[in-house]
Amino acid sequence: MLEVRSITVRFAGLTAVSDLSFDVGEGEILAIMGPNGAGKTSAFNAITGFARPAAGEVLFDGRSITGLKPDAIAALGIRRTFQNNGILREMSVLENVLMGLELSTASSMAGVVFGLPSSVRAEQEAVAAAYAQLASLGVSALAERPAGSLSFGQQRLVEICRALVSGARLIMLDEPAVGLSPMERLQLGEVLRDLAARGIAIVLVEHVQDLVMAVSDRVLVLNYGKKIAEAAPEEVRRNKLVLEAYLGTA
Amino acid sequence: MSKTADSSATGNYRVNHLARGRTLRGLGLATCLALLLGLPLLVNEYQQFVVNTMVIYALIAVGFNVVLGYLGQLAFANAAFFGVGAYATGLTMVHLALPLPLALLAAGAAGTVAGIAVALPALRVQGHYLAIFTLAFGELMRWVYVHADAVTFGPSGFNVPRPAALGLLGSPERGKYYLFLAVAIIAIGATVRLLRSRFGRAFVAVRNNERAAASLGVSVARAKIIAFGWSGFLVGVAGGLYALLNGRVTPDSFGLAQLLLNFAIVMIGGLGSVLGSILGAILLTGAPELLRNFAGIEEIVFSLLLIGVLFFMPKGIGGLIAARIPALREPLHRE
Repeated sequence: MLEVRSITVRFAGLTAVSDLSFDVGEGEILAIMGPNGAGKTSAFNAITGFARPAAGEVLFDGRSITGLKPDAIAALGIRRTFQNNGILREMSVLENVLMGLELSTASSMAGVVFGLPSSVRAEQEAVAAAYAQLASLGVSALAERPAGSLSFGQQRLVEICRALVSGARLIMLDEPAVGLSPMERLQLGEVLRDLAARGIAIVLVEHVQDLVMAVSDRVLVLNYGKKIAEAAPEEVRRNKLVLEAYLGTA
Repeated sequence: MSKTADSSATGNYRVNHLARGRTLRGLGLATCLALLLGLPLLVNEYQQFVVNTMVIYALIAVGFNVVLGYLGQLAFANAAFFGVGAYATGLTMVHLALPLPLALLAAGAAGTVAGIAVALPALRVQGHYLAIFTLAFGELMRWVYVHADAVTFGPSGFNVPRPAALGLLGSPERGKYYLFLAVAIIAIGATVRLLRSRFGRAFVAVRNNERAAASLGVSVARAKIIAFGWSGFLVGVAGGLYALLNGRVTPDSFGLAQLLLNFAIVMIGGLGSVLGSILGAILLTGAPELLRNFAGIEEIVFSLLLIGVLFFMPKGIGGLIAARIPALREPLHRE
């Protein structure tokens, strides 16, 4: 579904990601790990249109999405979360989830302004869909709360809700377990496995080992912008290069 | 993982709660409308003029709030939109003898064009840079009014023809009142619907976090252009009404003093609150009239009011309402 072909990302001469390639298929969970500054978030940004790769290509369903704007990439069915809070803090939980439906709500500006029935109906349907999505993750009681007032764990769930409601086929999560309690991490893991079982592809950048080991089908390890390993979780754990990157040479 | 029982219970509660809120709000709106329609019977010609001014400023403030409060952009071209609208109505009536409704549409169109013109730089610069740029745009428009005197009649301005239809209800001020009220209700009603739709949500998402908004498929550029265009439309129409209110259009009505008054109304009313903007407009256009007999005190009270609000209730009247009267709490209100 997602094919990354030797992308390189540079910032002012600094190479953040170099010659990175990987694939993610339907219903697969790929975790990207690596020490701080290894280029994980840069790789994310390059895929989702927030940074332009200096070289290489990103394909989604066989079609190149390299250099597209973030909103155009979102429209293709790729949704992401952000490391430091992609939640819209001043909006309610419901409004946050409604933002996930921005592209599929068929109300026109004229229809809204004149209160035409078709647009009013489209808006109501969006609200109903958002409620249904909140209920499916068991958080409908939070609907009216300002999103900024939620715990980190709840905010992550809302972000995931927002991605799901759009019918996203690939969800990219940037450090979703930051600030989560062990219980919340467990719940997040279950949610992710559940999504994968429904055929949604997931790429996550994560430091938290227990989550990565529990949910991923494959783990990709970056160090200084280069891929140093890509394998099943147990194998990566034994990989010599990975141990060196994290612990230094013996 | 799914808690069906829990969610249906909250669902029912929500439906009842909403229905009750809606009935209350409906009753409230009907009462307000009846009072507004009957108002001319209770006031004299001068008071009617003051009320007419309030209606115009309510429309201005709601328009300014779209950009300042909802979209969250520090843009100060509001007096320019206002002036462009006033000149569009006045000049199309003088030069082209356009009938009143078309002249008001011209004001809306001119305001929209000005709004979109300001949105284009707002795609590139933000914060203080945008503030300076938009201030400059306002001064540039004033320069045009003064120097394009073949069309705009220069620094001393011009008289706007008085449409006969406005005198049909006994007094011209009363005729203007019903026209202004109808225009303001339609325009503000449309704005409330726009703000509650995906368009308003996109404005607030851009205000909160442009990157997150983009990752959700919001075209940040499009959201900005729509918000600025709509803001320009509302304020432009208000300008058209203003040309009728005074029967005269002069360049110095649309300078920094005007902008400061607009800004104060929005800030005191509360960023991101339509109701607050309306109340702020009533307060700040009414207060100077009450203080008119005490020379010099007008500016002092005005400044103290602005400072007081910014210090003690930074969310303005709208924030106060949201905290005290939950039934009147507006969605997408700025927290």
